[in-house]
Amino acid sequence: MYRSTYRALVRFLYRKVWNAERAEDLAQEAFARALIHKPDNARGWLFIVAANMARDDARRAARERRHLTLLTAEPQESASATDEALEVESDRARVQAALDELSPRDREVLLLWDSGLSYEEIATQTGLARGAIGTTLSRARRRLVQAYEAGKAGEHVARG
Amino acid sequence: MSHVDDGTLHAYLDGELSPAEARGIDAHLAQCPACRGRFDEERALITRAGELLALAAPPDRELPPFRAGDVRPLKRLWWQVRLPLAWAATVLLALGIGTYVGSGSRALMERPVAGPQGYQSRDSAETDTPARLTRERSSAEPRVAKRAAGPPATPAPAAREEVDRVAPARKATAAIPRDTALSAPTPAPAPQAGIAIFVDGQSVPKGSPISVDSARALLGADPLAVPGAPIRTIYRAREIGYSAVLIVEQALDSNTVIELLERRAAPLNLDAVVVTAAGETRAPDSVARLKEERRKAEPRADAPAARLNARVAPLDAPRPPLRRVGNLEIHISGPLPADSLRKLLQLVQPVKP
Repeated sequence: MYRSTYRALVRFLYRKVWNAERAEDLAQEAFARALIHKPDNARGWLFIVAANMARDDARRAARERRHLTLLTAEPQESASATDEALEVESDRARVQAALDELSPRDREVLLLWDSGLSYEEIATQTGLARGAIGTTLSRARRRLVQAYEAGKAGEHVARG
Repeated sequence: MSHVDDGTLHAYLDGELSPAEARGIDAHLAQCPACRGRFDEERALITRAGELLALAAPPDRELPPFRAGDVRPLKRLWWQVRLPLAWAATVLLALGIGTYVGSGSRALMERPVAGPQGYQSRDSAETDTPARLTRERSSAEPRVAKRAAGPPATPAPAAREEVDRVAPARKATAAIPRDTALSAPTPAPAPQAGIAIFVDGQSVPKGSPISVDSARALLGADPLAVPGAPIRTIYRAREIGYSAVLIVEQALDSNTVIELLERRAAPLNLDAVVVTAAGETRAPDSVARLKEERRKAEPRADAPAARLNARVAPLDAPRPPLRRVGNLEIHISGPLPADSLRKLLQLVQPVKP
């Protein structure tokens, strides 16, 4: 159970907190809570808890932003960053920006699907009708791709 | 049959339609070129969206063991042994004390080996000229050697007194070459064993805040807290040698915060901690021995001896309060007098669910 869900949970959380270590910490935390509560549907429960924790985390992060800015003032591996690494990072940033343009519901459904949840599980998790998941997903995917391409095109225009 | 909507197409492509529904789609696609075109488009869209999300995937790391040996080395500050002269200063004393006492008493046994010259010369000095006598006294080290040659396990009160008096002299003489030489054959303490004293602001780095429930799961026991004081936050922390480290932050009043450091020893380390800690730290003379161990620790650190001696704690510094509850080690630190902290420590209670 831990083995199969941990990665999916980290993947899900990463797209919310955009920090691999933080995502791993939160995933561990979610599992620790699951150990105590022993929910019936542990997998679905884990994603609900993880989503809540990520939201709380985002709020807290907003409060502590000033503090964080101080801490991260030191350069982040920029010295050793290769062109390739930079390209990977800018791709990631573009996808992050594109995801931000989705509506919260579309984004949630897309991220849950990408983390390996079934339509049934996504429906339970989001409170949407099972029949609406396909429609939501098709819209989310289309907007993601459009936003990504638009962002990329925008960058090229900006660069001249 | 009407055309297939996007949602159904995606559900079909995602393999989320029932077999009967999927057969219906198959049938429609076979006779509707428009929908076949859309089918190809949506399939490409799904692939593309998947690719984009993969660009934003977390780095693929090894699956960490679940809550086991979740430790990370942290900076050791052996030489920053600067205890507060002012009561208000906050000092965290990490609680490998038992282990340290164990290794320290071994060191105690080894000391006389290099000591004889000092010992002898001091004996001869008894009848020597006053000038020589003064010189011998000033270098203090032979007296330490003599004291070490005595009963190693339980120093008599008189001997303890002597050690205490020696301290200022040692401070004054700064680097003591023989002492450093002595330390050479002594095995350096393992990083996870021993006293680590953290000066305020350099304590165990706090990790993410966690819930009481999670804290309980981590420790395998109820986390401890001072009853009556609201718990502000429970942080997770990491420290080598411990499978779980928690910091329970409590507000005593509007501007006083105390931190309870609670640790659960890693399974690997358990033997060392239990075997040496059980009797030793609770020995009646543990205060005096702690002082001694601290003194012995000075020359063993890597930093120059002069710096060590300059910053060493006064010997009459209070013993930082600690308490063992089961396999947890608790330490309270806060901007309060040490005796108040010690009282608080006696108050701590498990936080019941």
